[in-house]
Amino acid sequence: MAKAAFNTDDAFLFEQMLGEEDRLIMQSARDFCQETLEPLALEGNQDEVFHDHIPKALAEMGLLGATIPEEYGGMGASDTAYGLIARELERVDSGYRSFASVQSSLVMYPIYTFGTEEQRQRFLPKLASADLIGCFGLTEPNHGSDPGSMVTTATPVDGGFVLNGAKMWITSSPMADVAVVWAKVKGGDDDGVIRGFLVEKDFKGYSAPKTHNKMSLRASITGEIVLDECFVPTENVFPEIRGLKGPFSCLNSARYGIAWGAVGAAEDCYQRARRYVGERKQFGLPLAATQLIQTKLANMLTDITAMQLLAWRLGNLKDTGQLHPSMVSLAKRHNVGTALDIARIARDMLGGNGITGEYRVIHHMVNLESVNTYEGTYDIHGLILGREITGIQAFTALG
Amino acid sequence: MNFCVCIKQVPDVAAPITLHGGELVTDAGRVVLNAYDASAVEAALVLTEAHGGEVDVVLIGPEKATETVRKALAMGATRGTHLVVDSSSSLDSSAVAALLAEHLAERAYDAVLTGKQAQDTDAGLGGAMLAERLGLPYVTNAVGIEQEGNALVVTRQGDAGQERIVLPTPCLVTCSNDMNDPRIPSLKGIMAAKKKEIVAVAVAAVPPSATRTLAYEALPTRPPGEMLRGEPAEIAAKLVAVLDL
Repeated sequence: MAKAAFNTDDAFLFEQMLGEEDRLIMQSARDFCQETLEPLALEGNQDEVFHDHIPKALAEMGLLGATIPEEYGGMGASDTAYGLIARELERVDSGYRSFASVQSSLVMYPIYTFGTEEQRQRFLPKLASADLIGCFGLTEPNHGSDPGSMVTTATPVDGGFVLNGAKMWITSSPMADVAVVWAKVKGGDDDGVIRGFLVEKDFKGYSAPKTHNKMSLRASITGEIVLDECFVPTENVFPEIRGLKGPFSCLNSARYGIAWGAVGAAEDCYQRARRYVGERKQFGLPLAATQLIQTKLANMLTDITAMQLLAWRLGNLKDTGQLHPSMVSLAKRHNVGTALDIARIARDMLGGNGITGEYRVIHHMVNLESVNTYEGTYDIHGLILGREITGIQAFTALG
Repeated sequence: MNFCVCIKQVPDVAAPITLHGGELVTDAGRVVLNAYDASAVEAALVLTEAHGGEVDVVLIGPEKATETVRKALAMGATRGTHLVVDSSSSLDSSAVAALLAEHLAERAYDAVLTGKQAQDTDAGLGGAMLAERLGLPYVTNAVGIEQEGNALVVTRQGDAGQERIVLPTPCLVTCSNDMNDPRIPSLKGIMAAKKKEIVAVAVAAVPPSATRTLAYEALPTRPPGEMLRGEPAEIAAKLVAVLDL
């Protein structure tokens, strides 16, 4: 009779609960990320470089748009598999996960969900193969948590719309071939209604300058989208979707992946810290022999176990069509907030060495500051949950 | 050429393995395709991609080991056979070779490939025992395989250097992991593997093992190193004393 054993990476053996296909995808994603991406991440962070060959390498493994049906260049994988891929990407760097999240959830997902058949055929296979890079423009310089107040406009004209405005904090925009842009219609039947547009990089009046001096997500590229009298033909407009539910459903898909990604970042911090304290000796003993360090490790593993189980169950709910957006809010908020705490503690446990990039923990720590803020801040997700619990919205002050 | 690659599911060497009362406890660890067998699968795939043919895989293991057959199919193998044994069965190299020989005797392959050893037991006996039972010429510890006509030209890492050996087919080769970098299955490969055939055969009677494992023991911990200090002459004298020369 085999005895039970304790796995100090996966304390409640959540990986055993995965289906065979999902676990094979997890292993492939892990092997690929560790072999191909991990060697790039130090330079990526230190020198603010997103290496040119990364998109194609991800595409060849099938990691872009994995859940999209095969007829459009995707793999028809489960949502759990998508989450497991995010976990492996973010185990290396949140910047790489961000790139993949945007391509998959914020560009391919809306084109698949809201696009015409012509738009699907035209864009999805090339986005899956990374022949095209996409980005997603919702946030504006003065409208982050409150996108409904956006000021980017789309004025109906003959044969399409003319877009004016600016979007900010746009992952991949400086290298993107196509941008999913959300703008408020000005005039006509849909006056004041938010609609979605596929803006291509060679459209006149479109530019995407790079954002410089980021101290976080340095291994992925961030920029702006500037729309100056930019004409978008009708064939590049999502035909049916109206209002914020369009961009919010995209964000919900991306946030789902982030809840998983945070698990990978936290696991990497914990495992690096655990290795370090086993080797580092002070006062004649390894740091791991001290009570302060042991309880920190115990807290980390406890939190990671909770994060793993939350992500696994969330995937299960999404795969079985039982997902409510507030479940995603709960998981994104909890997992990213907790991962950030774990990264900060791991950085502390590595002492002075934790300050250097070579030990990689500080990259996770500063990356997670962005991840905690983007795709709905920690506090905004708290308000979404608060509204669910109380039935009272508190986004706008009532007093 | 048509190949059959014999593969094994083993605990991930990176996963924690613990001992309880002389028994190995690997349940909490991740299980993987034996790295040497992965190189054998890769070698067979490379040869068939270049020269044509098919790659079958065969695995002996408990029910849950099907996942490892699926992984080989995701890498590109054509079909798999899973000889299902009870998870509590303990098969040594001799028993494994007997079971595989029984399976392979009924089939005509140009070459049987397998890892030079399994990374759990590191016994390294199964390949040679299988070749003997099948009456096939064989080469162990291959670091390169090429196909020339109906023969395989195998580069073998020997103790005194590398040997190049021409093997007529049918034959058997055990592969080193120095031979290649096994491909990581892409999602496309994993999805395609779902549609490939895995024949599961319940092994009614497990062949007898020639050896018996009494108990497993953890490696003894190494004593800490000793740093010799002082003037050079003093250190040299201490060193001679330590070396007991």
